[in-house]
Amino acid sequence: MTIARRRHFLLAFGFSILLAAAATTPVLVAQPPPAGQGEFDFPEEEEDAPTWADDIRAQALDIALVAGFSVLAFVSFFKKSVRLKYITLVASVLLLGFYKSLLISIVNVFGLMGGNLPIFRYNLAWYLLAAITLVSTVLWGRVYCGRICAFGAFTQLLDATLPSRWRVNIPRAIERRASWIKYGILASVIAYFLVTKNPLIYPYVEPFWMFGLHLRTPVLLTLLGTLLIATVFVRNAYCRFLCPLGAFLGIVSNLTVFRIKRWSECSTCRICEKTCEWGAIRGPKIVMTECVRCDDCERLYADEKKCPHHLILIRKADILARRAAQGRA
Amino acid sequence: MKRLAIVLSLLAATVAVTAGAQNQTDARLKRLFPAATTFSPKGGDPPHVKAYNGETLLGYAFWTTEILPLERGYGGPIAILLGMDTKGILSGLVIIEHHEPYGEFSIDPPSFAAQFKGKDVRDPFKLGEDIDAVSRATITMSSAVRTIRNSSRRMARAYLTAPAAASPSR
Repeated sequence: MTIARRRHFLLAFGFSILLAAAATTPVLVAQPPPAGQGEFDFPEEEEDAPTWADDIRAQALDIALVAGFSVLAFVSFFKKSVRLKYITLVASVLLLGFYKSLLISIVNVFGLMGGNLPIFRYNLAWYLLAAITLVSTVLWGRVYCGRICAFGAFTQLLDATLPSRWRVNIPRAIERRASWIKYGILASVIAYFLVTKNPLIYPYVEPFWMFGLHLRTPVLLTLLGTLLIATVFVRNAYCRFLCPLGAFLGIVSNLTVFRIKRWSECSTCRICEKTCEWGAIRGPKIVMTECVRCDDCERLYADEKKCPHHLILIRKADILARRAAQGRA
Repeated sequence: MKRLAIVLSLLAATVAVTAGAQNQTDARLKRLFPAATTFSPKGGDPPHVKAYNGETLLGYAFWTTEILPLERGYGGPIAILLGMDTKGILSGLVIIEHHEPYGEFSIDPPSFAAQFKGKDVRDPFKLGEDIDAVSRATITMSSAVRTIRNSSRRMARAYLTAPAAASPSR
């Protein structure tokens, strides 16, 4: 277990360095054609055209912020540390949320569909975050949802600070059906975008603009208020039931390479299923599209006092030891 | 008879819409060149409209998306109508169309357009230096400033001669 974990950790570390290197490596981009026939005299024009070095220097702070934050997020993920996870969540809300409003948005999914992604050279920090999001989803699942997304971090912190007696536990059957709503929302907004070519539907399906609160129409404020109040009572309601980006990453996470391993005892034991705050465990199976890699079940697997796998092993060892002792006597 | 009526009303609607769009464009051009009496039809490469006061050429108006079609922000191209006089000084800009998620507090406020009025195309156009940066809307802001800077420089190189002289015939 620990060796495998260390290997994962090294993998992620190498991968984040690779990403950082890829983001800062110069790539030749076609320049606009040189001066025309005109004689307008501004000699500094050609020298003034920013070089790659200039562009990277101008974005260095943002790139460092995304890279630094990602290292923190993945260290917390691979160490399975609760404390580091909460530090990551706070950092996400403050830095990626309120400071930068740097979240992957459904608008980027529209961009993928319409070929309208931001220009690489000028938006290295965004591309770094987008690459980390996609690659980590393919490797481990919706890690982005669980600890990088600033809104998800915000609702998780809300859930951790509010008294648990306020929380309403939704019956499993309803929860399971409700988790399909987000796919419906994803399909409808993509259809809307493909028909109208207008991505500005996003604030109606995505509350991420709350970090800047720049859209102050009564309808949008009411929607946001309703959502936040609902989140007080139903934990991570948006992430689990409504988020179209989460649905998109959920579809991608079907490819997940490194899945959470399960003991053979998991087919009968329900401890993890009951603990999972995301409703992602159904019987012996972990539903990858719902799992955000929060580590709760993985910490249980390792807990020798709670996980039946260990309890059974310990008891077997005890019995064997007792028999051996009896045999000797 | 009924069919003819439908065709006619459709035609009328098309004419009305086109005329309305033309009126809107004229009003925008007038905002960039208040002293202009006439505007040439759009033409040339890069495409532009010339603004005249009688016989005197006042400057050029051009659409950024027609000069730099590949430039784009967060939600696609940002279409801006720019005015530039014959000396390479921007006379103003009008945001025509964009789909920027964070446009409400970056490029939509009149203060954004205002800071380009009177700017020389030879100015640096750097965010945080001679143009106010807006945090949380970096992608939109940098794209808008780039498209303004590069399209007006492209126009200046193509049509402006020595600062005092008139433009070459195209």
